[in-house]
Amino acid sequence: MPSSNGLVCFTNCLLPQEDGSLVKKDLWIDERRGLILDAQKTFFERKERPSNIIDLSGNILSPGLIDIQINGAYGFDFSIFDGDEEAYKASLRDVAERIVETGVTSFVPTIITQERSLYRKLLRLLSPFSTPTSATALGWHAEGPFLDMAKRGAHAPSFLLSAPEGIKSFEDLYGAENLADPEDWLMSTSSDIGVRIITAAPEVNGVMNAVGELTKRSVVFSIGHSIATTEIATTAVRNGAKLITHLFNAMPQLHHRDPSIIGLLGASPHLYSSFSPITTKALFGSTVMSPIALTPKDTPAQKASIGSEALEEVVTPPQTPIFKARTSGHSATLKKTQSIAGFSLDDSTEFTRPFYDMIVDGIHSHPNSVRLAYSAHPEGCILITDAMKILDPNLRDGLHDWRDGKRFVKEGDKLYLEGTDTLAGSVVTLDKCVRNFTRFTGCSLAESIKCATFNPAKCLGIENRKGTLRAGADADLVIFDARGVVQSTWVGGKRVWSRV
Amino acid sequence: MRLIIRENPAAVGDYIANYICRRINDFGPTAEKPFVLGLPTGSSPIPTYKALIKLVKAGHLSFKHVVTFNMDEYVGLPQDHPESYHTFMFREFFSHIDIPPTQVHILNGNAKDLIAECNSYEAKIKSFGGIELFLGGIGEDGHIAFNEPGSSLASRTRIKTLAYDTILANARFFNNDISAVPHMALTVGVATVLDSREVVVVVTGQRKALALSKAIEEGVNHLASVFYTWTLSALQLHPWALIVVDEDATAELHVKTVKYFKSIERVQDEVEATQRELKAKGGSEPVPQVGSME
Repeated sequence: MPSSNGLVCFTNCLLPQEDGSLVKKDLWIDERRGLILDAQKTFFERKERPSNIIDLSGNILSPGLIDIQINGAYGFDFSIFDGDEEAYKASLRDVAERIVETGVTSFVPTIITQERSLYRKLLRLLSPFSTPTSATALGWHAEGPFLDMAKRGAHAPSFLLSAPEGIKSFEDLYGAENLADPEDWLMSTSSDIGVRIITAAPEVNGVMNAVGELTKRSVVFSIGHSIATTEIATTAVRNGAKLITHLFNAMPQLHHRDPSIIGLLGASPHLYSSFSPITTKALFGSTVMSPIALTPKDTPAQKASIGSEALEEVVTPPQTPIFKARTSGHSATLKKTQSIAGFSLDDSTEFTRPFYDMIVDGIHSHPNSVRLAYSAHPEGCILITDAMKILDPNLRDGLHDWRDGKRFVKEGDKLYLEGTDTLAGSVVTLDKCVRNFTRFTGCSLAESIKCATFNPAKCLGIENRKGTLRAGADADLVIFDARGVVQSTWVGGKRVWSRV
Repeated sequence: MRLIIRENPAAVGDYIANYICRRINDFGPTAEKPFVLGLPTGSSPIPTYKALIKLVKAGHLSFKHVVTFNMDEYVGLPQDHPESYHTFMFREFFSHIDIPPTQVHILNGNAKDLIAECNSYEAKIKSFGGIELFLGGIGEDGHIAFNEPGSSLASRTRIKTLAYDTILANARFFNNDISAVPHMALTVGVATVLDSREVVVVVTGQRKALALSKAIEEGVNHLASVFYTWTLSALQLHPWALIVVDEDATAELHVKTVKYFKSIERVQDEVEATQRELKAKGGSEPVPQVGSME
């Protein structure tokens, strides 16, 4: 056709569907509006067909990948703000523009536990952001500070807080404006409030009381850095918790009598367990259970700031059944059910299992564990990088400068402090996680892609715009070859990165 | 009427596609004088569409100057419903070829005034000078488009109530829920099809065998009984009709009939070859109705 009508048809390609299948089909997009088209409607109603046809020679045309937990990349740490707003924004922009080479077209910058005064500022800086050639920063993910001291990982103990006043404690910390209901927000400004995720431990004093209100305001509550019992974790989900942060890491390991947070993946939609295990007597004093009681006396603190909070844990407390004693303090908020032989059928509301995210670098969780989780609850699986600021696929293996004169050794996706065998965090890219995931679980590439596109979008409630090839969604696309290697990345209908 | 027999549905599709390709290219369509093509839906034409798509992708054929009219569409089914004929045509054919959307015509089963929609459809066909070639398929009872039992041979584009058999047959596309199957359709009439200069019908599978035998071994017999209407036999009235079938569809034909048509095809090939030679030499005017054995 002589002149371009701004419509593009991708042909000879395989499209990953929302059900995890792969279908040979064309995809039509409008490159001017940056949207995916309903091809049939465009043809019959708009009476147009694309003037530009792109043959993808049998490759996979996927929605752009979404990383809902990433701490930084290309040398920039989202959690570090030195007071220069322009510099922070420029660095954020730099990350957003470069990360497309890993197939990521949307990400949620993640802030690890900070000194409380920093939050309002940081979260305001992290309003949704994108340029025509960059991935979209969707909003923010605040990991902390309402975490359990016992599973704090690398989060600075001195900054951990409880929420004695429930939602008000959250508002005081993050800023009420940052936790506004999207409807109220729209009244005051035209900008999008964006995605908001808070990782917190529901057993921390007052946190459970805020879950419902946060959920009502469309903030995604994610259970993490927590030693919640099955009962507490279940209640948190019933109250609205939608996600589990880096499954397996910074939480009690699976115990068959009290499977705790991990056990949520096995929860039946109908059977509510009020199973009362035969508990041993408490091995820990009650002081350990209360994060507020943990005062700076227990502060081996600052060394923590370099590690991956998902990996470096303080001594793991014994398995959760011993916490039975402690749940009495929460019983007021827990659902009382008539128990018959330890279990009861609760027909009042169906139980929906939460989403859970995993770092599939082969290091943070054993491949067997990854497969176990995926087998239990494939629809909830989300792949994340949880990457540190040194994430950069172009970084060669070997010695690199860190900070304060320290250096680290990069060896593939492993990162050690020089001279030690201490892992210094995740540097895996999301496209690699997608490839790893197919090897670990035996699932198809399309099913793996779903865990890095549609599932995170659904968890965030943005599956109409992102992580999908539905008509009307943003034309943020990644082209993979049959081995899952990124060939090119498209944002808003325009190619922004290409392998050659 | 010619009958072409091929081994299987794929070979039938290839034959018809090549035939249509030659017809369009010989016609030499332009923007001012487009080739007007009538099209069916259903499972039997799918191999033909597949073969046509291949020809377009290989650059042997273009639909830039082809205007199409579809046979029928359900009434009240949303245009983007997975079972609508709009959806079928887009999915199986139009999305893969280079036809401009403005040149595609499908009856609008959601029109406010259905009768006006039918009348304007006929008028539109007329405005293009009628249909050059109508490709069709048949139902097990020999119906063409939705021209079900009792359809007049003089019928035009109109609203049609679907026969119970057809509703039952279509229920499998609607979760086996009979109440979800549309009970009405808009369809071109038997006369609309017969008015086109050439009719090509694809008949494949043993289930269509009886309809085929009734259509070509008996007289024009569109209302033989309440439940069997061999609309297809109306083709005997058409001066330029081609039926392409697979071996399975010949199951109810006499051996004599099959042999007869196979021998005709051989003669036909020779005649066509001679004609092409003559044409190449620039000797004679092209004979448009080479294929007709009426």
